[in-house]
Amino acid sequence: MDVSDLKKNAKLEIDGAPWVVTDFQFVKPGKGQGLYKCKIKNMLTGSVVDRTWRSGEKLKAANVESKKMQYLFNSGDAYTFMDNATYEQIEMPVDVVGDDKDFLLDNTECEVLFYNDRAVGLSLPSHIVMEVVECEPGVKGDTATNVTKAATVQTGRQIQVPLFIKQGESIKIDTRSGEYVERVNK
Amino acid sequence: MRAWDQALQAVRSYFRDHDLYEALTPVRLPEVAIEPYIEPLRAGGHLLATSPELPMKQLLCAGAPDIFQIAPVHRASEHGRLHSEGFHLIEWYRRDADERAVRADVERLVDAVFVAFDRAPVSAWSCHGFLPLLEATTTVRLTGTEDAATLAAIVPSAWRVDVPEGMPSHAHDLYAWSALLTAWSDAALDPWLAEQAGGVHIVDYPAPLAALAQIGPGRARTGSYAHRFESYVGGIELANGYHELRDAPEQRRRFEAVAALREGHGLEPLPMPERFLQALPKLPACAGAALGFERLLMVATGAQCLSDIALHVD
Repeated sequence: MDVSDLKKNAKLEIDGAPWVVTDFQFVKPGKGQGLYKCKIKNMLTGSVVDRTWRSGEKLKAANVESKKMQYLFNSGDAYTFMDNATYEQIEMPVDVVGDDKDFLLDNTECEVLFYNDRAVGLSLPSHIVMEVVECEPGVKGDTATNVTKAATVQTGRQIQVPLFIKQGESIKIDTRSGEYVERVNK
Repeated sequence: MRAWDQALQAVRSYFRDHDLYEALTPVRLPEVAIEPYIEPLRAGGHLLATSPELPMKQLLCAGAPDIFQIAPVHRASEHGRLHSEGFHLIEWYRRDADERAVRADVERLVDAVFVAFDRAPVSAWSCHGFLPLLEATTTVRLTGTEDAATLAAIVPSAWRVDVPEGMPSHAHDLYAWSALLTAWSDAALDPWLAEQAGGVHIVDYPAPLAALAQIGPGRARTGSYAHRFESYVGGIELANGYHELRDAPEQRRRFEAVAALREGHGLEPLPMPERFLQALPKLPACAGAALGFERLLMVATGAQCLSDIALHVD
């Protein structure tokens, strides 16, 4: 692609990795070359860098695609997801899933990122509801303080929760920070 | 709406008071000036005007008096705070005049629009030679006669003026000087311009950046420079003007250099403006300038970007 096709959210392949343009500014002195000042984010690592291209430069578009998929099960070496539209199943290696595994419940709907037809990234719903399977007994009337205790949820992840949370209750968790949000009454 | 109407009226009154006739030339053209890094949009086998320069000069060749126009123009792939693919150029030509006369028009025209918005006129205009200003803002000292290879050896490597592979040799100097202008603007000129309280003209351009301007002695009556200027207010580039070149073979060589630059960048060729080149020997001695209407409106109203004053609904 030509540099003049750059815009926000354009996906580029640079040194064998997919990048997305997150910020884009065009400046051009009279009859000089245009400058395309971009912030780009590595779609695999999330790192952000500034890059400026000039008129006439050529870029490679990244073959990336994002699909809505449902998490099915974990076989030990890989996590299996299913395309809700085609029922096609794909496997995502453990290292790609990373710590997100702690928030993956069966049937969770996620966005799966494909780069050159390979599943390379996972984006979870921003919040997820899970059940507390183990924690110290609840303490009544202690709702006003910031004191917390550790609670273990279905996936084995430990979350800091307020003292009033009891075993068997459901809680809403922010998947980006891994923090407790609120108690959910079923 | 009211701001546009006020500004249009101020522009028209200014030119009518100075005995220029309003012209209208076609938006869709068989040929446009081949200019570096300005890409025309294509429409039905023709090109949309990137500026009304060629048809207006052809009117002058046919005997027209001093003329002005507020022309809709289009330039492909220009999107930004100060850029849009479609905008309006106030363009005018004065016969028996040089670039100093149309530079004075720029100052008075800006003031006329400022006054229409109850704003004080631009307090002071300063005029700077391209090369002295380059030296003052960066310490890079050039004579304007450097070829591409010499330029690459002198200026900081971060300016990336080195000619890329595959660039035809007669585009080398144009490439290197255009890259220098871009790098200088980004590194030092734009920040410097943004700090200037008054209006700024840059004059005495190096010959490779002459575009459609005559070349001759500079302001100090020495050297050999393009009789071209650019005008800025509040750090924003508003206008560009020339003492117009009337030498058809020289104009053809310059268009060929830009065509070679385009080829080096892998861009689709543009038709050589043969109709214009054929008429050019009849062009009377004249000077012309183009001033971005929307940018003038931005500066006059204090708007931060073109979209703030756009009159169209996207």
